[in-house]
Amino acid sequence: MLLNIAATERTPEIILSSQPAKLSIKGESYPEDVSAFYGQVIQAVNTLVETPEGPLDVDIQLIYINSSSIKAIFRIFEGFDEYRKKGQNVSIQWLADEDDDIMQELGEDFIDRFPNLSINTLST
Amino acid sequence: MSKDSFDLYDREKALISEGSILLESQDLKTIKLFAQRLFEGFVSLFNENQNLLRHSDRQEQRLVKLNQNLKAQTQELELKRQTQELLSQQLAKYLPPQILAALLSGTYQSKVATQRKKLTVFFSDIRDFTATSDLLQPEALTEYLNEYFSEMTEIAMAHGATIDKYIGDAMMVFFGDPESKGHQGDAQACVLMAMAMQARMKDLAASWKNKGFENPFVIRIGINTGYCNVGNFGSDQRLSYTIIGGEVNLTQRLESHSDPGGILMSYETYCYVQDLVEVEERQPVKMKGIARDVKTFAVLGLKQPTPHKTVALNHQAGVSIDLDVTTLTPSERQQLAEQLRAVANQIS
Repeated sequence: MLLNIAATERTPEIILSSQPAKLSIKGESYPEDVSAFYGQVIQAVNTLVETPEGPLDVDIQLIYINSSSIKAIFRIFEGFDEYRKKGQNVSIQWLADEDDDIMQELGEDFIDRFPNLSINTLST
Repeated sequence: MSKDSFDLYDREKALISEGSILLESQDLKTIKLFAQRLFEGFVSLFNENQNLLRHSDRQEQRLVKLNQNLKAQTQELELKRQTQELLSQQLAKYLPPQILAALLSGTYQSKVATQRKKLTVFFSDIRDFTATSDLLQPEALTEYLNEYFSEMTEIAMAHGATIDKYIGDAMMVFFGDPESKGHQGDAQACVLMAMAMQARMKDLAASWKNKGFENPFVIRIGINTGYCNVGNFGSDQRLSYTIIGGEVNLTQRLESHSDPGGILMSYETYCYVQDLVEVEERQPVKMKGIARDVKTFAVLGLKQPTPHKTVALNHQAGVSIDLDVTTLTPSERQQLAEQLRAVANQIS
């Protein structure tokens, strides 16, 4: 297990493992210090990118996300794109509440921004 | 890259820092390479900026919508609150205020349930009401009667009474439930209320006479203290919060024996108020179901406090006397005076 961060009122639960390569981000995201919170995640994803361990499976299910967190998630997705460039399969599930059009549309923005990644938006 | 030192804008900051040095360079190849990286960085930031602004706009839209919903809900709640307040004001005219307050706060159990409790019960009635009302126009009768009930109700509420009901021109009130000041406190509050009512009736009579009401209303009052059944009587469909029992009937009987403009109370009530009011014992009343005769007392007025005759002496030799002589019987006073004289003789 590379990362196992419990959820708080302001930050999501984050679990990252290398064998199998799997990342899960679930919950609210408006940390007081985005760089401090997501720095560890970006660093851990970059470590995984350096030594790919097979297909990477990603689940993202956010309830509310502030703008600074989105910038951090962009950086994490850049890591996924690097992983893909190393010939690994990356599968991303973007889950949003069926009534939450904001999170659904944000998923579409990520699809536009990273056209080479396989991102599926799903309603829960 | 440690957790603390990570900076989300590290790449942008690095480009800015690098650029200030590289742009001074005369080497076009170096500048071109940097320009290429700068361009890529700009495209990335531009896309990112577009995404973030879109997201921010959506959040703002949601906030505006939520705010509008909140305003609509607040208005709806305010309307409901006003309706409830109006309803509560209307109900207050039909229910004892203590019961209404308990009902609105959700602490009152509206079910058939009664209990036996020692209460002080009050009953008043207008003397010769039928004959008096025959001499009045219906409009005038309504006006005087409403004024009479309004004034009496105000006095009753000010004294903490529970108004049971109005029966024609009569009023039935009690003390001790749902709130009680203790048996003595309840009895005293009731008698003080009755005295305030009779005083107010004198003022009203003067005012009514000025308006042409020749023989204004005069009320009789009966007061009794005893165990009654109090609570919700009736059925699950329709309840009435009231009191019943022999003591209630006795109160009504006392009222009928009272002087017009007077207050007649039972011995039980008298025991609780004897330090408060001057009374005159009246003829006992016989009651069906009560073997003994019921002693009755008419209220004459409030007791005047007894003036205290005190004796005080303070001497530097350490002698101190502080005495209320009204607390001594004549023989005790005589005995004390003799002892003091003896002491005085020894000193001199």
